[in-house]
Amino acid sequence: MLMIEMIKEVYAYRQMIFSLVRKELRGRYKGSFFGFFWTFMNPLLQLIVYTVVFSVILKSPVEKYYLYLFAALVPWIFFSSSITGGSSSVIASKDMVKKIYFPREVLPISYVTSSFVNMLFCFIVIFFVMLVSRSKFNFMALLCLPVVMIVQYILCLGCAMLTSALTVYFRDLEYILGIITMAWMYLTPIMYTIDIVPVSLRPIFNMNPMTPIVTVYRDILYHGRVPKLGTLLFGFILGVFVLVVGCCVFRKLQRHFVEEL
Amino acid sequence: MINREKVIEVKDITKKFKVYYDKSSQLKERILFRSRNKYEERLVLRGISFDIMKGEAVGLIGNNGCGKSTTLKLLTKIMYPDSGTIKTKGRISSLIELGAGFHPDMSGRENIYTNAAIFGLTKKEIDARFDDIIAFSELDAFLDNPIRTYSSGMYMRLAFSVAINVDADILLIDEILAVGDANFQAKCFAKLREMKAWGVTIVIVTHDTGTIERFCDKAIWISEGEIKVHGPAQIAVDEYLRFMNSKKLESMLRKEQREKIKMEPSENIGRDDTAVSEQESLHFGTKEVVIEKVIMRNRNKETNIFENGDNLILDIHYKVNKQKDEIVVGMGFYTVDGVCILGNNTQIDRMHIPVKQKTGKIKFEVSNLPLLEGQYSLNVSIVDQDGTPMDFYREYCNFIVISKDRSVGLVSIKHTWEVEEYETIQ
Repeated sequence: MLMIEMIKEVYAYRQMIFSLVRKELRGRYKGSFFGFFWTFMNPLLQLIVYTVVFSVILKSPVEKYYLYLFAALVPWIFFSSSITGGSSSVIASKDMVKKIYFPREVLPISYVTSSFVNMLFCFIVIFFVMLVSRSKFNFMALLCLPVVMIVQYILCLGCAMLTSALTVYFRDLEYILGIITMAWMYLTPIMYTIDIVPVSLRPIFNMNPMTPIVTVYRDILYHGRVPKLGTLLFGFILGVFVLVVGCCVFRKLQRHFVEEL
Repeated sequence: MINREKVIEVKDITKKFKVYYDKSSQLKERILFRSRNKYEERLVLRGISFDIMKGEAVGLIGNNGCGKSTTLKLLTKIMYPDSGTIKTKGRISSLIELGAGFHPDMSGRENIYTNAAIFGLTKKEIDARFDDIIAFSELDAFLDNPIRTYSSGMYMRLAFSVAINVDADILLIDEILAVGDANFQAKCFAKLREMKAWGVTIVIVTHDTGTIERFCDKAIWISEGEIKVHGPAQIAVDEYLRFMNSKKLESMLRKEQREKIKMEPSENIGRDDTAVSEQESLHFGTKEVVIEKVIMRNRNKETNIFENGDNLILDIHYKVNKQKDEIVVGMGFYTVDGVCILGNNTQIDRMHIPVKQKTGKIKFEVSNLPLLEGQYSLNVSIVDQDGTPMDFYREYCNFIVISKDRSVGLVSIKHTWEVEEYETIQ
């Protein structure tokens, strides 16, 4: 019941979300020479660095390792920025929160959305690389891409809701989360394949909601095969769970935001 | 005419604030220095209830820290009450913070969209209002310039224009009507009146009781977290001003007492030795009879602060240096600009004061002091029958009058206003 009311309210403020996302995206590279072009330049240059490092210095047994890595790294950056950047999203707008009413959920939502849009731009780079490296395009698999993106969006939003509300009360969380996401990244099969993880540890790895999501992205973009729905379903259920918990916590904690800011 | 529908229903709300002695929001500090987490709970609102009907304009008044701004913040849902309920109907627009989300590098046009979006408007709704907003702000020539090139007046004008065109059902305003020049302010008020006529409910927080009396139908006076008066604007404002006056009087009396303690030792030295030339023109005479001291008091105690309607009593103590048959004692009330309000002496009033003793006291009394609020000065004199000054003080001392009558001028004159209407306007 409360949930529906919240969704209605946030929907009424969709224009605010839209304008905040636009501000965030446009403001990111403001003042730089290339401006918005950096949105593409940045991932492309990163990709070049990884390619050089992993094909010349650290020779990886995986074929086309740069694409293998990148197909997982780009979604991971979306996830980690949702957690760390999302955590400061309420504090960053504290002047607005203190002075004017709007559903506070708008803040983490627009931050996560702008990170999401940023990821979409990175995907243009990935497609470009896939074309250049003559990777296999499986159209059935590519149709699954929006599905996994939505699943990931739900998960990221849930995490951002949690962290943004909690950080208002414990400012240290912002820095603690930086370490947590770094550790989390190494515990997710991004740099390596899940096959090198000892079988005894696999169940723990599979508890990680990002493991199925990364696996699905890789299936679609690197292997060019239709992902197993079961893998995705687990990520989806976990994502929805986190989002519901996140929304409830946020609703409860936002009542005293103004006093804490 | 006005639909009597409750749009704001506030029931028994309380709000506590934690006032930290040394606030830490870092986890480390919270754990390590538990003692620093001490705080005092301050009850800002202690159970406030009121209803506001559709189309009413209500003013919230009260001295600083009484909880009126907190009440407004609770109404906008920026904060939530600790107990009690608030029910509101319709879209609320708050003019608490103008120009929320304005980005200095973006143009006026873009900022209108951003700012209006924060009020919960969709793109379509903003498009529909866009022309009105620009027309009201009178900034069409600067629309595509970045906001950072705007003057602060232009900035406020743009912000106000957005806020007022949101089409709210309830408009909450906090002390921000000091925007722009006089013309724009008049325009804002005209717009607010127009909105009120449409049935928009308006709640204003301000210190300016004039605004409230002119604009609001009702006023709520909050004092120390409680509602003192909720009623017609004039009545609430009057009550509030009366209370503030009595507080002012109290603090003045306290200050006076403090100063008296400080002043006493140096008083005599100052009067006799320094600033001789100035003293001469203010104090002169043959000294055959001298004024020893003048005590100014009301019925109960010595003071130089009076309320309009008080009794004002002067005890003039004199000492005879050279025997005289008769003396004439006089007084005068002057404004600080030197205009005489009342001048009188015992001769004018056909009194004879034969001198028999070496010292004596003359009492002068005004019952029901009619002076209006302000600062006044007192002259006292003793002259002989022919008018030769023997001891004459100009500006012997100053005194202050506090008045409930808010008329301008010098003297409070009992008055009433009446209105008769002959024909109704078509």
